Amino acid sequence: AQRRSQQGARIQYEKIGSDVTMQCGTLGSEASVTWKVNGTDVENRREDDGPRLALKQVDLSVNGLYSCFQNPTGELKDQIILRVGNPPKEPIVTCRSNTYPKGFYCSWHLPHPTYIPTEFEVSVRHGLQDLQVQKDPIHKNRCHVKLPEIFSNNKYRVNVTATNALGNASGFLAFDEISIVKPDPPEKVVANPIPGNPRKLEVTWNSPSTWPDVETFPLKYFLRYRPLILDTWQHMELSDSTSYTITDAYAGKEYIIQVAAKDTEIGTWSDWSVAIHATPWIEEPKQIIITTTTEADENETTPSQASPSAKPQVGDTLGS
Amino acid sequence: NVTDASSATAIQRTYELTKYLEHQLSTLTVSYLTYLGPPFNDPDFTPPRPNNSASLPSAATRLDLWKGLDNRLRLSENHRAYSILLGALKGLAAGTLCPSLQRSLQHFCTGLHGLLVSIAGVMTSLGYPPPLPSGEDIPNYFTPKPGSFDFSRKMGGFWVLKELQTWLWRSAKDFNRLKKKLPIPRRRTHMFIACPGI
Repeated sequence: AQRRSQQGARIQYEKIGSDVTMQCGTLGSEASVTWKVNGTDVENRREDDGPRLALKQVDLSVNGLYSCFQNPTGELKDQIILRVGNPPKEPIVTCRSNTYPKGFYCSWHLPHPTYIPTEFEVSVRHGLQDLQVQKDPIHKNRCHVKLPEIFSNNKYRVNVTATNALGNASGFLAFDEISIVKPDPPEKVVANPIPGNPRKLEVTWNSPSTWPDVETFPLKYFLRYRPLILDTWQHMELSDSTSYTITDAYAGKEYIIQVAAKDTEIGTWSDWSVAIHATPWIEEPKQIIITTTTEADENETTPSQASPSAKPQVGDTLGS
Repeated sequence: NVTDASSATAIQRTYELTKYLEHQLSTLTVSYLTYLGPPFNDPDFTPPRPNNSASLPSAATRLDLWKGLDNRLRLSENHRAYSILLGALKGLAAGTLCPSLQRSLQHFCTGLHGLLVSIAGVMTSLGYPPPLPSGEDIPNYFTPKPGSFDFSRKMGGFWVLKELQTWLWRSAKDFNRLKKKLPIPRRRTHMFIACPGI
């Protein structure tokens, strides 16, 4: 397969593992030429190949700019960019709605690299209706689709066709609206100790900013927390609330806390939020002031000034 | 005022009943599709819709239209849908040859009838005229022919449960929306201030 590059040289695409022949322009079979690849002479060519260059079971190492010069003048007659690769295999498509009910996005990838430029064509159907597809300006191999309606039983079908110079292949995904709804994780998770409560932590968070209408399409949340010293999580499911007070924390132990979100009726749980750390409130150690008296001081002190007992009173704080 | 409080409570109860039925139905659907056998119990299988499935109410709607429904229309659409679906489910149960599954379906019909009564109660508490009594103009989706269990009848059963599932999902959002419009008023304390001359 051939195309033309910006510099005017022909691009010749060939399949990895195949035998390749390159023809030097339109020279006749009796012509004698010299071939160079990326400026270096091509070794051990057979003289009777005339104006052609034959390469056996090519691999990626043969990629390059091939130039042929007619003997004996050495005139440049042709230039070919050889690009070796594979035809695309069936694209793997995944779709998700993290902005329900506004719309969903689909991503795709090829199970094996093609090594050569490959284009993708996407079409989306809902029941019998073709939907408009918007390419994602940032993410490669991603497109966005608006939901034409909600609470629908009609399946969506997303078709992705991959095409390059060596062939094409199509993959598709069919799904119900209900199955692809997966919010982004909750945001701004904060945990604060509660003064005077050594076993409590107050956790607050925001609904994911990508979720467009949390009033009409409420989320429920899943909170998990554990002390750093333990491996088992404790879990708490909360509906419609973005705060929770942990009341059974181990006093003085640092905790790790995460939150996940889900539509109250459909879809799947989001990934866990960023983990945050917090330690419950710890009572400040009381200060005991200890006064030490030497012999000299005793001689100076008149009997009436000496304190009745030098023992630290309970509740005094130690000098820091 | 008192109506707001009773309406809000009625809406909350209807919301909870919807959630309960939604949960019950998902279990019941697995049993029923297993009973229908392959390919119906394959999660990726979606049969074509039978000819008469157009008589089943579709929950699908445009987002802007759904958001724009006023309370009365929202409730009556729900009521009408469940009236039709209850009729269809009764026909489905009648034609089910497995006794235990038949009992489960009939038990679910009782729950669904409770939902209809609950919705009617909400409408009355909001001062709307009571909805059409169920069973009157409801098309007969299933002509119960015990013993005949052809593919089209199986397709019909599949789509009744599917539409019912979708309506329960929609209703949860409907009643959630109504809940937010009619929050359960906080208990108000009345302060009596003696005003001279009044």
